[in-house]
Amino acid sequence: MARRSSLPVTFVVPTIAILLVLSMVPTLYAIVIALQNRELSSTDYSWVWLSNFQDLLFDRRFLNAVWVSVKWEVVTVVATMVVAIGLGVLMFEVASPRLRNLYCLLFIIPVLLPRVSAAFVWKFAYHPLYGIATYPYRLITGGLIFDPLSKPSTALFAVASVDVWQWGLFFAVIVLKLLETLPPQPIEAARLDHAKRWQIHAYVTLPMLKAPLISLMFVKMIESLRSFDLIYVMTRGGPGVATETLDMYAFSQGFIESGKVSYASAMAVLMMIATVISFTMLWKRVQA
Amino acid sequence: MKPYRLAASLSAAFVLTASISTMALGAPVCSAPVKVLAQPRDGLTLLEDSKDEFTKLSGAGFQIDYLNENDRRAKSRADASTVGNYNVYYVDEANVALFASSKWIVPLADYYPADYDYADFDPGRQKVATYDGKVWFAPLTGGGDLMVYRKDVLEAAGIQPPKTLDELIADVPKLTDASKGMYGIALRGARGSGANVWRWMPFFKAYGGKWFDGDKPVFNSDAAVKATETYLKLFKDSAPGTQTGSWDESTGAFLSGQVAILVESTPLSGMAVDPKTSQVVGKIGFLPPPSPLPGGGYGHGLAIAAKANADDASKKCAGLFIAWATSKENEKRRLDAHQFGELNRTSILSSKEFAGIYGADLGQALAETGKATAVNFWQDPRWPDLGDRWGIILEELVTGTRTDIKGGLNELDAYANELVKKK
Repeated sequence: MARRSSLPVTFVVPTIAILLVLSMVPTLYAIVIALQNRELSSTDYSWVWLSNFQDLLFDRRFLNAVWVSVKWEVVTVVATMVVAIGLGVLMFEVASPRLRNLYCLLFIIPVLLPRVSAAFVWKFAYHPLYGIATYPYRLITGGLIFDPLSKPSTALFAVASVDVWQWGLFFAVIVLKLLETLPPQPIEAARLDHAKRWQIHAYVTLPMLKAPLISLMFVKMIESLRSFDLIYVMTRGGPGVATETLDMYAFSQGFIESGKVSYASAMAVLMMIATVISFTMLWKRVQA
Repeated sequence: MKPYRLAASLSAAFVLTASISTMALGAPVCSAPVKVLAQPRDGLTLLEDSKDEFTKLSGAGFQIDYLNENDRRAKSRADASTVGNYNVYYVDEANVALFASSKWIVPLADYYPADYDYADFDPGRQKVATYDGKVWFAPLTGGGDLMVYRKDVLEAAGIQPPKTLDELIADVPKLTDASKGMYGIALRGARGSGANVWRWMPFFKAYGGKWFDGDKPVFNSDAAVKATETYLKLFKDSAPGTQTGSWDESTGAFLSGQVAILVESTPLSGMAVDPKTSQVVGKIGFLPPPSPLPGGGYGHGLAIAAKANADDASKKCAGLFIAWATSKENEKRRLDAHQFGELNRTSILSSKEFAGIYGADLGQALAETGKATAVNFWQDPRWPDLGDRWGIILEELVTGTRTDIKGGLNELDAYANELVKKK
């Protein structure tokens, strides 16, 4: 009995210990630094306790970054899910099995591209004079210039479109495969009741896929929090601060502008707390 | 006494023989490859072709990692203050004060072999490389500003090349014809002390701007407001893509034939006359920046990292690499490869070969612009922080996310006061 009960402990404890060290040490270190006034250019520092957090409340760029991060999260997650479900259903309804396989192959390619490469490709595509994405506008308007990455009103959406291009298409493949795994009986029953195609999906298939779709949404929410590389390459947070998310601003304060690592850590800590709270609340809500 | 003398003589002979043997064998200066963090430069790319030469000279090779300007600045700052992975940093006029005062780099003169003749570098660039009375880097590029203009476009518009700032402001809108893809000017909108702020500073200085009134920062002066208003006014005729672009975008627009007048750093002139990089060869003229715009004196170069070179031998190795990389021989190779922007030595700039390649006009314009070149930025370790802060606000103003010039400058002034108090 004793040997049997000790086996799980033998396997679980080292794993948990490693995970704790890997996750807790940097987290605790970030919290400690956030309570100090460390700067890259100096080895001197002192404890300032909550002063960095207090300063953040009056920092207009921080408040802007919070708002941009919320917009980014909402836009990318909603658009990705809409594209994924729309395209997934479309492929399921319209395409033959052979075509579906071809589409799946094509739709997976964008997500296989490294983020930085995708960002560079689209940055050139959005060039106001030579970009392929801005060419139709030039053609229709007789050569008028449209520079989506330089306009505060369009920059965030232009960058978000790249994120959706990568993840929306990939998720569409997953949605298609999920639809293919559903039992055919409920769908056939709905057809016999003369339900229209959109009704079948709205009231039968998608509700049946609620759990995996919510999981997909959570995956995308976490992924969207890590879009630093995409934004950094395409706009560096500009124009002005129009696409400056919290991680961009924290990096900027820590390593680009002033070397204020403590101030940057305070932002990281706040981000972590906000993420944990909001994700927990959302998770509980969908579980309810 | 005799045995002692004999022993002393033998010892001396042994030491001498050992020294000569070591020299004859060419004891390697470097024990490991030199790691360099730099930004892309044609001169450095060319240097990589001669890697074997350095290996023979030092006993080890080198590895250069390239990042664009802003990334290079961020990465070198992070590396120097933490792990210290690189033996040599590419530094520039804007961050040499920070790197030197933070002791992230060491004075170069102690480790720069005398044979490589540091005094041969252009005196202006030597000045930029000097901080607190010590030389910190060997120049890879540098200079001031030149006005490069399209002769054909100005002639067609019946406009003489502007000689004053007022003329420039008046001429630029007349030269813009968006339907033909022609823009009066190209400026830099992208944030950064070395990007949009760099191009804005000559306007600030031209209107009599000063960073300090005694010990008090005056970053929100009337001169700063007027300079910003002028900059934003000119930006209305700046080529597309420059609103969030920097050197690459503005020079790229000029070299591809979309811009009539460009006031930019001197390397542009070499690119503009090179058919490999320019579509406007034979159509351009050079003049100093319209008066009273001062040229922005600058210099980039290689410095010895402090952390990665913990002992004297490593510092000597890094010093040898820097000396070799910026040597007359390598600079001659850059001249032969028509890399105008990579030339820094007076012996090369005044050579017959240089005059033969670039012509007398450019030489004259360079000589004249030298008189108007000045150090426009605040030479202080806190400058990158402050300059970047202004860069963000200026980018916001350029792209229209904010419109209150005075409010933006007040914000900058408040931040400057905060920084000054901290010292």
